[in-house]
Amino acid sequence: MRIESRQEFEAAVAAARQQGADRRREVLVCCGTGCLANGAAAVAQEFATRIEADGLDATLALHAKKTGCHGFCERGPLVVVQPEGILYTKVKPKDVAEIIDKTVAKGEVIPRLLYKDPTDKKAIEHYADVPFYKHQVRVSMRNIGRIDPADLDDALAHGAYAGLARALFDLTPDQVIAEVEASGLRGRGGAGFATARKWKATRKAKGERKFVLCNGDEGDPGAFKDRSIMEGDPHAVIEGMAIGAYAVGAREGYIYVRDEYPLAVEHVNLALAKARERGLLGDNILGTGFSFDLRVSRGGGAFVCGESSALMRSIEGKVGEPRAKYVHASDRGLFDLPTVLNNVETWSDVGAILEHGGAWFAKWGTAKSKGTKAFSLVGKVKNTGLIELPMGTTLRHIIFDIGGGILKDRPFKAVQTGGPSGGCLPADKLDLPVDYEVLTANGSMMGSGGMIVMDDRTCMVDVARYFLKFLVEESCGKCIPCREGLKQMLHIFDDLVEGRGKPGDIERIERLSRGMQLGSLCELGKSAPNPVLSTLQHFRHEFEEHIDAKTCPAGMCRELTVYQIIEDPCTGCHLCTRVCPTAAIAGKPKQKHVIDPALCIACGACFDVCPEDAIRFLPKKHEGGGHAPAGH
Amino acid sequence: MSQLPCVDMTLLDGILERYPREEPSLIQVLQDVQRTYNYLPCEVLERVASALGVPLAKVFSVSTFYKAFSLTPQGRVVIKVCTGTACHIRGAGQLIDEVQRRLRIGPGETTEDLGFTLQTVNCVGACAMAPVVIVGEKYVGAAKASDLAKHLGATEGGDHAN
Amino acid sequence: MPRLVIDGKTVVAKEGTFLLQAARDAGIDIPTLCEHPAVEPYGGCRLCLVDVTRPEWDGWSKMVVSCLFPVEDGILVSTRSERVTQTRKVVLDLLLARCPETPLVQELAAEHGIDRTSYVPNPEPTDCILCGLCTRICDRLGTSAISSANRGVGREIAPPFHEAPPDCIGCLACAEICPTGFIQYQSGSARRVIWNKEFKMLRCPTCGRGHITEDQARYYDGRNGVPARYFEPCDACKRKEQAAIAVSLMAAPEGR
Repeated sequence: MRIESRQEFEAAVAAARQQGADRRREVLVCCGTGCLANGAAAVAQEFATRIEADGLDATLALHAKKTGCHGFCERGPLVVVQPEGILYTKVKPKDVAEIIDKTVAKGEVIPRLLYKDPTDKKAIEHYADVPFYKHQVRVSMRNIGRIDPADLDDALAHGAYAGLARALFDLTPDQVIAEVEASGLRGRGGAGFATARKWKATRKAKGERKFVLCNGDEGDPGAFKDRSIMEGDPHAVIEGMAIGAYAVGAREGYIYVRDEYPLAVEHVNLALAKARERGLLGDNILGTGFSFDLRVSRGGGAFVCGESSALMRSIEGKVGEPRAKYVHASDRGLFDLPTVLNNVETWSDVGAILEHGGAWFAKWGTAKSKGTKAFSLVGKVKNTGLIELPMGTTLRHIIFDIGGGILKDRPFKAVQTGGPSGGCLPADKLDLPVDYEVLTANGSMMGSGGMIVMDDRTCMVDVARYFLKFLVEESCGKCIPCREGLKQMLHIFDDLVEGRGKPGDIERIERLSRGMQLGSLCELGKSAPNPVLSTLQHFRHEFEEHIDAKTCPAGMCRELTVYQIIEDPCTGCHLCTRVCPTAAIAGKPKQKHVIDPALCIACGACFDVCPEDAIRFLPKKHEGGGHAPAGH
Repeated sequence: MSQLPCVDMTLLDGILERYPREEPSLIQVLQDVQRTYNYLPCEVLERVASALGVPLAKVFSVSTFYKAFSLTPQGRVVIKVCTGTACHIRGAGQLIDEVQRRLRIGPGETTEDLGFTLQTVNCVGACAMAPVVIVGEKYVGAAKASDLAKHLGATEGGDHAN
Repeated sequence: MPRLVIDGKTVVAKEGTFLLQAARDAGIDIPTLCEHPAVEPYGGCRLCLVDVTRPEWDGWSKMVVSCLFPVEDGILVSTRSERVTQTRKVVLDLLLARCPETPLVQELAAEHGIDRTSYVPNPEPTDCILCGLCTRICDRLGTSAISSANRGVGREIAPPFHEAPPDCIGCLACAEICPTGFIQYQSGSARRVIWNKEFKMLRCPTCGRGHITEDQARYYDGRNGVPARYFEPCDACKRKEQAAIAVSLMAAPEGR
């Protein structure tokens, strides 16, 4: 039923809350992409089947809910039993009966399914006590994991659209912009431009027809916060965009979603339909006379479409080529009409800011970076997943307290932020508070919040080369410095990792980088040298070792490395033979194994599984090359 | 240049019905064509061009610019190896090598019997489970080169995976 | 009208003029490869980069492409600052690596002190600099028969599916505008071939030479009020006819 007034909105929220309260017991099954991959759909189905078959909704007032991503993907499928908030990890369909019989019915905890702290191996019962969760402050991700994204009433019960209601019923467009300005909100997609400034410019722009757009083309490899928001709480995005549209005077909008995110497309479309049905979108929203509607535009798989002018061309059905931006999108954006473009997370913050006020959001953060920020914490860290924290949290706190430290307790080497436009920060930067200014000042950037943790088994030259390879494929090819520059830069790096580096390469890299930074058309090309320059700044010695001694200190560059088994510690456990992709390891069980150098491709798989540290890598001997021991 | 129509053009009508006949629909239509036909057949693109009023050259340009589209038929099972940063540092390269070794196809290539296509994708956003391989529709997290045969064998792509 | 300073010279230009034009009008030369008055500016070759400073913004300065940056009152423009020159050199060095055998590129690079590329030269040298002039003129004429294909390093100019382009009318505009002669064609009195497509020529009833393709005549027929008969005598014959009329009028005593 359509909601057509403030009274009806309040009544709908109250009814939704009551419905939630009537369900005394609830199991939340995480159905984010990560948990689905681990088999969450079968777990959710098993709960549904049992509830249905045994009439548990009546007897236990039990309800099973499929939610978006809880963030702790590493441990999925995740199940939370409410109201106690007991967290079960790695749940299988066969565990469901036990969870119902013991935990739901009798309040007994099943120790086997609890999360165990990797540092002290102690089991933790409650969701809120798990270190991964307890340090977080969730604004943009406030309802992810709590609501069923397909159930609008559930969202309403958890505060969705309260910010929109306040904006439409109580505030003028200028007051809405003032509230966003007071929050200090800046773009969560990369550059950190002040959101209120963009909105003001678009509000001022002449023209009847204006657009609001959502950038859901989360292209930075290693970042997936936007995916999780669109999947787990699409209403937060819709609400934010409706508020933005009201503020700037737009009646139409698009949500541009990456082609690689099919579940996000599905959930957003479903949420749009439900919001329209209830009068939260479309003509005469909430009976206020304000009209606004949204469409989903699926991307075609091009990283450059995260760039604003390329994204707009893509929505127009064209190739995603950026344009020079001497005229701002606020004046001439989509179809050459005034346009506001914000990132998924930014839009998601807007609803909460309007509900609770700008000052509420601004109480977190640093001088110039206010509020909270979502990050995807991945790589060689124990607890990988999605987190949201106040701006200004230190890298050390994120990686060691929340992330639980480095996998296998190996030494920390670097953390990469900002994706292909960002950079790598070394160990001596771990105590830096994370905000826009600090990251930029240290040669990286916020980007879309990917944090990729690297250990000593990560070669920094290879990491820089990885980003170049990525960008070579993703450059649109319109301008010379980016297209030809990336190709030539990759040539230099191919030489470095394959033992053909030569003196002067570092200087050539630096000169080319500067040409690309100053000469390229769009941000993709201008920032393309960042991963190269930041690794060069912090890990210059690794470059020098690749060039001068033709060695890879991390043992990752295959052309520069050989692997050997050390006799003493090898117990002949056979683990290495099982992972070796080329059957290069021979040896009888319980006897010392040997690697055949003719077959070995130096992939390092054996090194990573050996429980006895019996495998070492050495520099491959080249004619005239150095051969310093690389260690293990 | 029209070849004998060996593709079912009626499937296209259903796709075109869903969108306004204008240039902004182009990428959306091509997405559906790719999903329906498993590639973008040349004769279908000619019809798309005239139906949307977009020059054929622009349709061709868009079809080759975006990675989601392919002008040649794809395998029955598409193996996508994620090469996002998290997957890269957790060993995506080994996975690609393994698929190449088993199926004798490089990234972007399809086996002769159209059983499998190997693709690399720049981050599927499942970084917490790195490295990730998507075999058909199935996401395989924390994938190991040594387990790949099992996942390939479980699909209908063909009997290469031995 | 905005008043600005380019390389120390005060210039007054009409609102909406781009810096490149304003500089050229003032006799200041800026190198370009992808610019042509017949088509919209593109900003792809990056050679026309200049430094722009806004003194009232505490000396804020930025590098912009002059072909797309509109003139502004009070700005200072340098077309040859240190970083402009350096960046231009990197761009030309890169372009020379792509097109090591293309005379236009060689000459331009040499003018900037580059005789050999410092990068890895293209093992398959091409004359296509991807300036996009051909596709832009084709769009401008309304045919859009050719386009860019692929992206990044694989980018190229191509007809659809690399086959004879169905929408091409054989007007040769792409070949004429191509600054390096990359787009090849053959044209005679009877037939013309471009992009592997063969065209029959329309013969001038007066002199008998083939001057435009039949497809061109059909394409122009009715467009912009051009009647089909317009092409019947070729341009050369038309001029002769008009001259003859003029001569006869002048010759006639008390003609009007």
